Amino acid sequence: MNLYVINFKGQTTVGELMNPEKGSPGAVEDMEAAESFIQQAMEIILQEAVKKATNVKEKVCEWRSPEQLKELLDLELKDTGESESKILQCCRDAIRYSVKTGHPRFFNQLFAGLEPHSMVASFIIEAIKTSQYTYEMAPVFTLIEDALLKTMMKLIGWEEGGDGLFNPGGSMSNMYAVNLARYRYCPDFKEIGMYASPRLVMLTSQEGHYSIAKAAALLGFGTKNVYVGAVPFFVNATAGTTVLGAFDPIDEIADICEKHNLWLHVDACWGGGALVSKKHKHLLKGIQRVNSVAWNLHKMLMATLQCSAFLVRDKSCLLQRCHCAGASYLFQQDKFYDVSYDTGDKSVQCSRKPDAFKFWLVWKAVGTRELEYRVDRALALARYLAQEIKKREGFSLVIEPEFANVCFWYIPPSLRNLPESPELWKKLHTVAPVVKERMMKSGSMMIGYQKHVDKPNFFRMVVISPQVSRQDLDFVLDEIHSLGKDL
Amino acid sequence: MEPTAGDLTDPLINHADGQLFLHEAFKIIVEEVLCKGTDVKEKVCEWREPEELARLLDLELREKGEPQENLLQRVRDVAKYSIKTSHPRFFNQQFAGVDYHSLAGRFLSEALNTNLFTYEVAPVFVLMEAEVLRGLRALVGWTEGDGLFCPGGSTSNMYAMNLARYRLYPEVKSQGLWSLPQLTVFTSPESHYSVKKGAAFMGFGMDNVILVKVDDGGRMIPEDLDEKIELSKSQGAVPFLVSCTSGTTVQGAFDPLDRIANVCDKHKLWLHVDAAWGGSVLFSKKHSHLMKGVHRANSVAWNPHKMLVAGLQCSVLLLKDTTDLLKKCHCANATYLFQQDKFYDVNLDIGDKTVQCSRKVDCLKLWLMWKAVGSAGLEQRVDKAFLHARYVVDQMKKRDGFQLLRDPEFVNVCFWFIPPSLRGKEKNPDYQNRLAKVAPVIKERMMKQGTMMVGYQPLGDRVNFFRITILSPLVSHKDMDFFLDEIERLGNDL
Repeated sequence: MNLYVINFKGQTTVGELMNPEKGSPGAVEDMEAAESFIQQAMEIILQEAVKKATNVKEKVCEWRSPEQLKELLDLELKDTGESESKILQCCRDAIRYSVKTGHPRFFNQLFAGLEPHSMVASFIIEAIKTSQYTYEMAPVFTLIEDALLKTMMKLIGWEEGGDGLFNPGGSMSNMYAVNLARYRYCPDFKEIGMYASPRLVMLTSQEGHYSIAKAAALLGFGTKNVYVGAVPFFVNATAGTTVLGAFDPIDEIADICEKHNLWLHVDACWGGGALVSKKHKHLLKGIQRVNSVAWNLHKMLMATLQCSAFLVRDKSCLLQRCHCAGASYLFQQDKFYDVSYDTGDKSVQCSRKPDAFKFWLVWKAVGTRELEYRVDRALALARYLAQEIKKREGFSLVIEPEFANVCFWYIPPSLRNLPESPELWKKLHTVAPVVKERMMKSGSMMIGYQKHVDKPNFFRMVVISPQVSRQDLDFVLDEIHSLGKDL
Repeated sequence: MEPTAGDLTDPLINHADGQLFLHEAFKIIVEEVLCKGTDVKEKVCEWREPEELARLLDLELREKGEPQENLLQRVRDVAKYSIKTSHPRFFNQQFAGVDYHSLAGRFLSEALNTNLFTYEVAPVFVLMEAEVLRGLRALVGWTEGDGLFCPGGSTSNMYAMNLARYRLYPEVKSQGLWSLPQLTVFTSPESHYSVKKGAAFMGFGMDNVILVKVDDGGRMIPEDLDEKIELSKSQGAVPFLVSCTSGTTVQGAFDPLDRIANVCDKHKLWLHVDAAWGGSVLFSKKHSHLMKGVHRANSVAWNPHKMLVAGLQCSVLLLKDTTDLLKKCHCANATYLFQQDKFYDVNLDIGDKTVQCSRKVDCLKLWLMWKAVGSAGLEQRVDKAFLHARYVVDQMKKRDGFQLLRDPEFVNVCFWFIPPSLRGKEKNPDYQNRLAKVAPVIKERMMKQGTMMVGYQPLGDRVNFFRITILSPLVSHKDMDFFLDEIERLGNDL
């Protein structure tokens, strides 16, 4: 077995370059060295990035200022290589100073927790290292993506099925929806561009994700042409808004879209997870009527990043027609297998990672019922948290949570029982940033805050992970008070 | 189904089980993917027809889960039926081989599972990405600049187009294309199709991608570029971008950057260099001349997951700009992510430089590998690939039946295999048709037998020919001799 790569002394002779096998003992050593290195690296990963990182007794983050961190990491890239022990130390340091997003007290984003089956799938994907543009290059992953998309369409309620693919992120899925809607409206745009056409306009809500605005900019519509009217052709409804976790009333919006023949896209990147729950899927009632759906499995359902599905209710190869360029070096029509299995021209990308596998393996491992249970549990915990907030002095809900986002203010004693006024809001606005700084420097937990429209900074707790328990939520409230009571 | 109070008290996932599964699965990955996958005695692929493979994999997703032994068998099955892209006889794409340091970096990136939008959630990687970009820019010849990692070279090329448009007409971000004149982009017919896809996606229209003539080596002709720009202007359009290529997909040609830069300077157009494939020559003192003049470009796309073996995905966009153009062009200032009152320097929150929200950590795989082998190690990798290509070309010239398209300037070796039955018959009227059928059959045979994988395609008026790209550090002369022998073996009877 030839293995050139691992040469820790950093030197290779020309002889070895031309004929690695000549140095047979060297080749054997190299393979052993490579395997040994990978085993050691994986041991570190399992201990430090998996075991410790999910341990509630450890810190969520090991905060360092950027200047300090630069020094600690020794980032400089040099001409010569470093020793194996140094490289393994680099791995340890990278882990140490990284945020433990699998920690039971990481609530900062719309993803959290650690799903071991998904992680295994990710490792497999990295080891196999292929691109999903053609069946010949990724036979297993092509079929898996298709099976997963079909199952998701059943949950959405598309009896006749549809089309879709996995994208590098929900923003991209949303962009695809805009692009398809545009293409359906006028297929000629693909060739001639949008110059001579009347101004087209997209409709979304204020709470919609900013990727709609970015889509408008990138695709040439202009951010001003989002929800201010000329000729509407596209409506974006959100199932699970980013901050408040609100669900647009899809059925009613679908009525309007059908009446005016507008493309209705549902950004269910965050809220799509509710579809696996019999109890909560009513939040997306009407979703079977829409034209396209974006659903990120790496959020509530805990696949590793990224795992973003884009689904379109179409059986006319719209996705392919809209995006194809027919590159003859990849999509030869004279292949020896059925070339309709080559999915690459449905995408705007060329190389595409086989992300669907990350969730397929999870689903196989735990089954739909367990997925449902996880979602129900997360939402039950969110309700629990909301109830506790109502019971506690100094905590005030922004709105009653509909989903897994629990938004609230912490009002330190010095600001309680004061009349509501702009000055109070101003002071309240400064509380969350300080509490955030303190929690990060102590590494006890991570929660996001933001201002929103005219409301001063409030915390947004997001409950996702099945590792989280009531005690963790109690801790969050206790800790916020502990960190902020002197403000 | 309703969780009880007790359910809410106990964490749901059993970590011990999960960690055991990770441990066991990893053993399988090492054995089946890394060891067998790089073993020349094993097959490159285990071909199955789609219907049969679907049955073998048992794809259905069910109500109930499965025990660990089943799942581990699934891991084995996935490994078995996947293509061994690290195999010494995998030559099908512009990536191949394996680097174990980058692999460790990739496993680590997956395990840490974070997003690169803010410093608070990815402190290590924000700093690391900046350092890697600085190192790559230095090789381009820029001491300052900007850039980021993108989910693929197609995205990098698209961003360049977007930036060029924004620089010329900043109002396009808010107002859209409606108020603008017709914009035109210039590229060669040998360039990557992402230029066209990008033009369609961003609203320019594929027709407004003007194709510039190439010489018989597949390189853009600067004089024709100049003419086409003048023509476009005279028709009332506004040329704004030239997207040239360093290392074209099929032939591996390098557009003459210095002379193209002269044309771009003259007309004040944004010069983007798609060096997704060829960029790695910049590590090689011997071969970087192929990209002479690259420092004059405005932007460069470069995919280390190709020749540097960093592993998919690893794609960068490098910019000469120091006016924060990237951020201005792409930002949406979402207040739930990019709060301005954070307790650290918010310039470290780079998320608004991209059109994405979530963005994977792709820099660690490159950084760890670079640390391990040094720039010198990466240079050796590049130089070695050139030597291998030279060897294959020399061998082909000695053998009957192998006809090169031309002498390659890079590591893409394009050739026809002419079976004995067709040799000397070039004048026959049906020669081209019959030749076109040769490669697909050989490809089918090699895949069904699993002995190797190499790509074929037509190009312009040239019928199906093979393209072997030799870049894996695992490959030796024996593998290339085997390759030539095997093509003969599979195709001699045609």
